[in-house]
Amino acid sequence: MLAIERGADGAVVLNGRLDAAQAPAAQSFLDQVQGLVTLDCGQLEYISSAGLGVLLKTQKRLQATGGKLRLVRLKPHLRDIFTYSGFDQLFEIEAGS
Amino acid sequence: MQTPVAQRPLSVYDMEAILRVTRGLAAPFDLTTMLGEVVSAAKQVLDAERGSVWLYDAATNELVLEVATGIRPVRVPTGSGLVGACARERRIINVPDCYADPRFDPRVDKASGYRTRCMLTLPLVDHKDALVGVMQVLNKRDGVFDAYDEVLATALAAQCAVALQRVKMTGALIEGEKMRQALEMARVVQMSTLPTEMPPVPSYDVCATFQPADLTGGDTYDLALLGERLLVVLGDATGHGIAPALSVTQMQAMLRMAFRLGADLETAFLQVNNRLAETLADDRFITAFIGVLDPATHVLRFHSGGQGPIFRYKAADATWERYKPTSFPLGAMPLATLRPAIEIEMLPGDVLTVISDGIYEYENGRGEAFGEARLQVLIAANADKPTAQMLDLLMADIRAFAQGAPQEDDMTAVLVKRQSPLWARASFDRNFDALESMTAFSATAFARMGVDERLLPIVDLAVEELFTNMVKYGVGSSAPVRIEIGAIAGGVEVRLIDDDVELFDITRMPDVDIDAPIEEREPGGLGLHLIRRMVDSVEYEYVKERRQSRITLRITGAGSAARS
Repeated sequence: MLAIERGADGAVVLNGRLDAAQAPAAQSFLDQVQGLVTLDCGQLEYISSAGLGVLLKTQKRLQATGGKLRLVRLKPHLRDIFTYSGFDQLFEIEAGS
Repeated sequence: MQTPVAQRPLSVYDMEAILRVTRGLAAPFDLTTMLGEVVSAAKQVLDAERGSVWLYDAATNELVLEVATGIRPVRVPTGSGLVGACARERRIINVPDCYADPRFDPRVDKASGYRTRCMLTLPLVDHKDALVGVMQVLNKRDGVFDAYDEVLATALAAQCAVALQRVKMTGALIEGEKMRQALEMARVVQMSTLPTEMPPVPSYDVCATFQPADLTGGDTYDLALLGERLLVVLGDATGHGIAPALSVTQMQAMLRMAFRLGADLETAFLQVNNRLAETLADDRFITAFIGVLDPATHVLRFHSGGQGPIFRYKAADATWERYKPTSFPLGAMPLATLRPAIEIEMLPGDVLTVISDGIYEYENGRGEAFGEARLQVLIAANADKPTAQMLDLLMADIRAFAQGAPQEDDMTAVLVKRQSPLWARASFDRNFDALESMTAFSATAFARMGVDERLLPIVDLAVEELFTNMVKYGVGSSAPVRIEIGAIAGGVEVRLIDDDVELFDITRMPDVDIDAPIEEREPGGLGLHLIRRMVDSVEYEYVKERRQSRITLRITGAGSAARS
C-alpha cells in the first residue's frame, strides 16, 4: 500500500511501499508536480525498479524545465538501492537519516 | 395309558378363564417371570397343586428345568422319562396314578418330600410347530386329570408356547442389546482417555488417530505436554471388549500420574508395569510405547514394552530407521530393572511413526496384509505435509487397500514430526495485485523458519522483480506463479517457478550501464540489475517437457553487495 500527499511545507510525502502495483498511481500523482519538488521518504518502506522508473520519468520531465526531485529522509536500506542502480547519481539525496 | 379325547367342547367359562390368564402372559418379557406366570396359569386353570415348565434346548436336544437361582438346572434328554417321552412324541401324557406307572420316577419326590399322585404332561409347541418345551401339572385337587382337563390344558399350552417363544426371542434381542451397550461403554471408556486436542509443541507437528473396530480392541494413545516435554504413548491391550479398554485406561491414568509426580521414564515404566502385573489376568498384557521428547534439545527417549513397529523417517536422506522393543509388554511380569531407554535426536523433517498392529495387519479380501512397506511409502511421499493430513492419507490408503474387507482390530497411529522449516510454498495469480500477499507470504515464511529478518527486504525485492518480469513477458500463460522459500545455512533460497512459458534466461540478459547519464537511462533492466547486486547467486533452469522456467536465488548474510 502506498499513500502520497502534499505535506504542509509543500513536500510530497510518500508513505508505504512503492512497488509495481502502486507505481501507476504514484506516476499519476507525480505527473502533476512542477519545479523543485522535495520528496519526503521518511516513511517510504520499500521501492522496487517500478518505483525507480516512476522517479526517473518524473525527474526527466522536471529537469526539462529546470526543476528536479530532491529526496529527503531516505532510509538507509533504500539508499543502497539507489546506489546499486546508480540512481544516487541522478537525484539529489539529502545526507543523513 | 391312552386317554380318549373328550367329546364336549370347552365351556365359555373355561375359555374366559384361559383368556384371562393368557392376557397376563402378554406382559412379562423376561424368561423367569414368564415361566412363573405360565405355571401359575396352569395351576389355576387346571386346579392343580403344582406345576413346572421344562424348556427345550435345541442345541443339546435336552429339556431343562430351572429349579431355583443358584442351583444348577435339571437336564433330561429328549426321550427319557415322562418328560422326555412327551417331548419326543409330542403328545399329552396323563398319568392318574403315578406310583402305579412304571414310567414315573419317584426319585424327585424322595428328594423334595412331595408325593405326586397324578400328573399331566403336555408339549409346548408354537404356531410354527417348533418344540418350545414341556409343561407338567401335578395333583389335581379333588381328583385326577380327566379328558376335559386335557383339552383345557392343550388350549392353555398353545398360548403358553407362543408366549414363551416370544420371550426367548426378546431375550435374544435384549442380550444382543446388552452386548452392544457393553461395547459402546467400552468405546466410551477408551475414547475418554484420549487427548481432546493435539498439544502445541514448539517446532513440532504432532498428531494421532484412533479408529476403533466394531468389537473394540484395547488400543490407546496419548500425546500430552508435561511442562515443556511431550509424552508420547501408544498402547495395545490383548483381547477385545470392555476388559482391555478398561486396562488401557488404567495404564493411561497411571502413566500420567507417574509423570506428573515427577517420575522419570524408567521409574514410570517400571511402576506402571509392576502395578499392571498385579492387576491384570495372567494371560493379559499391554504392549506399549512410552516416550518423552524434549523439544528444546530435540532428544526423544523411549521405552517400548513389546510395542512395534517403531520407525523414524529421516528427512535428510529419505531413509527409515527402525527400533526394537526395550522390554516385555506391560503387565506380563513384574520387573526390577530395565534395559537402557533408546535415545534419538530428531532432525528437521524427521517423522517418528508409531502404529498398532491393526494397521499393518489389516487384511484385504485376498488375505494380504497392508504391511509396513506400504505405510513407509506413504509417509515418505507425504512427509512434507502436516501430520494430520498424513494420517488422513494413511487411513484413506488403508481403506482403498481393504476393498471393503472389514476392520478386525483397532487402528492407532501416532506421528511426531520435527518441523522442517525447509520450505514454504505458495502460488500467486499473474497480476500485480498479488504482490501484497507475496510479501505477507515471505514474512510468514521467515518467521516460521527463523531466518534473519534483515534478508527479508532483499527477498521481497528480488521476488517482485522476477515476478513482474514473468507477468510482463510470460504472455500467453495463465498459470499461477509458484514461489518457494527455504532456509539454508546462513540465509535463504528462493525459487520462482513459471509454467507454460517460453524459455527466457534472465541470467543472460545484458546488464544495465548504471553510469550512463540520465538521458540515456531507462527503467528497463533495473530489476535484474538490482537482483544481481543484492543476492549471492541466480540460476535459471528451463524444463522443456513442462515448458517450465525455474529461477533460484540464494541470499545469505555474507552476501555479495555491501550491506549495512
